[in-house]
Amino acid sequence: MSYKKIVEMIPVEKREKLSDKLLNYLLKSKKEKKMPSSMAKCFLSQWQTGGFDDEAGLAVLLEATALLELDKTAEFLEQDLQLADVAKALKEVA
Amino acid sequence: MVKFGIEFVPKEAYWKTVYYAMQSEKRGFDNLWITDHYNNRNVYTTLAATAIYTKKIVLGPGVTNPFLINPIMTAQSLASLDEMAPGRVVLGMGAGDKTTLASTGIEAKKQLSAVVDAIAIFKAMLEGKSVTYEGNVFQVKGTRFNFKPRGQIPVYIGAQGPKMLATAGKIGDGVLINASHPKDIDYAVGQIKSGVTEAGKNMSDVDVTAYTSFSVHKKPEKAMQAASPVVAFIVAGSPNVILERHGIDLAKANKIRGALAKGDFGTAFGSVSPKMMEAFCIAGTPDMCNEKISRLLKAGITQFVVGSPVGPNVRNSIDLISEQVIPHFKQ
Repeated sequence: MSYKKIVEMIPVEKREKLSDKLLNYLLKSKKEKKMPSSMAKCFLSQWQTGGFDDEAGLAVLLEATALLELDKTAEFLEQDLQLADVAKALKEVA
Repeated sequence: MVKFGIEFVPKEAYWKTVYYAMQSEKRGFDNLWITDHYNNRNVYTTLAATAIYTKKIVLGPGVTNPFLINPIMTAQSLASLDEMAPGRVVLGMGAGDKTTLASTGIEAKKQLSAVVDAIAIFKAMLEGKSVTYEGNVFQVKGTRFNFKPRGQIPVYIGAQGPKMLATAGKIGDGVLINASHPKDIDYAVGQIKSGVTEAGKNMSDVDVTAYTSFSVHKKPEKAMQAASPVVAFIVAGSPNVILERHGIDLAKANKIRGALAKGDFGTAFGSVSPKMMEAFCIAGTPDMCNEKISRLLKAGITQFVVGSPVGPNVRNSIDLISEQVIPHFKQ
């Protein structure tokens, strides 16, 4: 499954809250070395052109946080947003 | 109208600093200053990446020094950066921190002369002609680039002492004053004016910039908590004359110095007093910060730089400044 497909599983009303949380995870992460150069450029290009609230932006953000902070991301999806199926799909694709 | 700048220390991966820089541009900041310390990520690498992802924010090193980076290389770096971000590049040049420089084996002698020489060489190199210069600290002979720089780049001088402040007024396009309190800004503006007068310039020719330690949060205690480590380092590094200007007990300052020297950060940060916070940072809610910024404006600043730590959560604090601080002064 692609990250775009995972984003489609997330209800629209929960996306802004998720985007905000994922940005915090990413920017505060100490696992910077896990960020591939290509992903860093993709992250910055997305921020430059569109941001992270729409489907394309959230997909980039999910991919980046899955690389650096998979456990935290999955836990937030499952426990705070009550999206266990999304958390499971994310763990499978990461 | 006052300009708002923001400072970042490139201590994290480049993409984080560039993210914050882009956010700052989107949120209405005018200037971006990246610090230059050998023990962090390289300032020009960071600025180049930032130049690619931004389009209007003015950017530059804040500040570099001529002892570690030869002024010819500074001119080369900024002339190259000016090709990537045409017309929005500035230089911040200071004398450097003696302790940090000493750890690299460099003795920072004749700091004032070094800065004057460096700026003269910098400006001459940007003319794109062969440069010969015989200064007290730096000399060059027939040096020139194999490319034509776009033109002159505004020069800001980082200054704290009276002679450097006056020199900055005399030869700089701007002055970066490491201070957060009106008393220090008042003093600095007086010195800058003397240099401006000597050069036959007007104060409006100089961008008087307060380079502050800043922390904002909706809950003041959280803002203060984030700022106290930075204030501890400022207290430790400040000359006693400045501590006395603010009525700070030298014994308490020495306790912080001693604790930091031993790596006892808990004691050092815990020893920061309210008086130290008042003197050396602007921290609190947006309203509290606005009140303090207003006092600096009255003292004569034309640019306000939000410096480290910005806030307990940098991203959220940039948004808060954009929503409740910048509009207070720009509308």
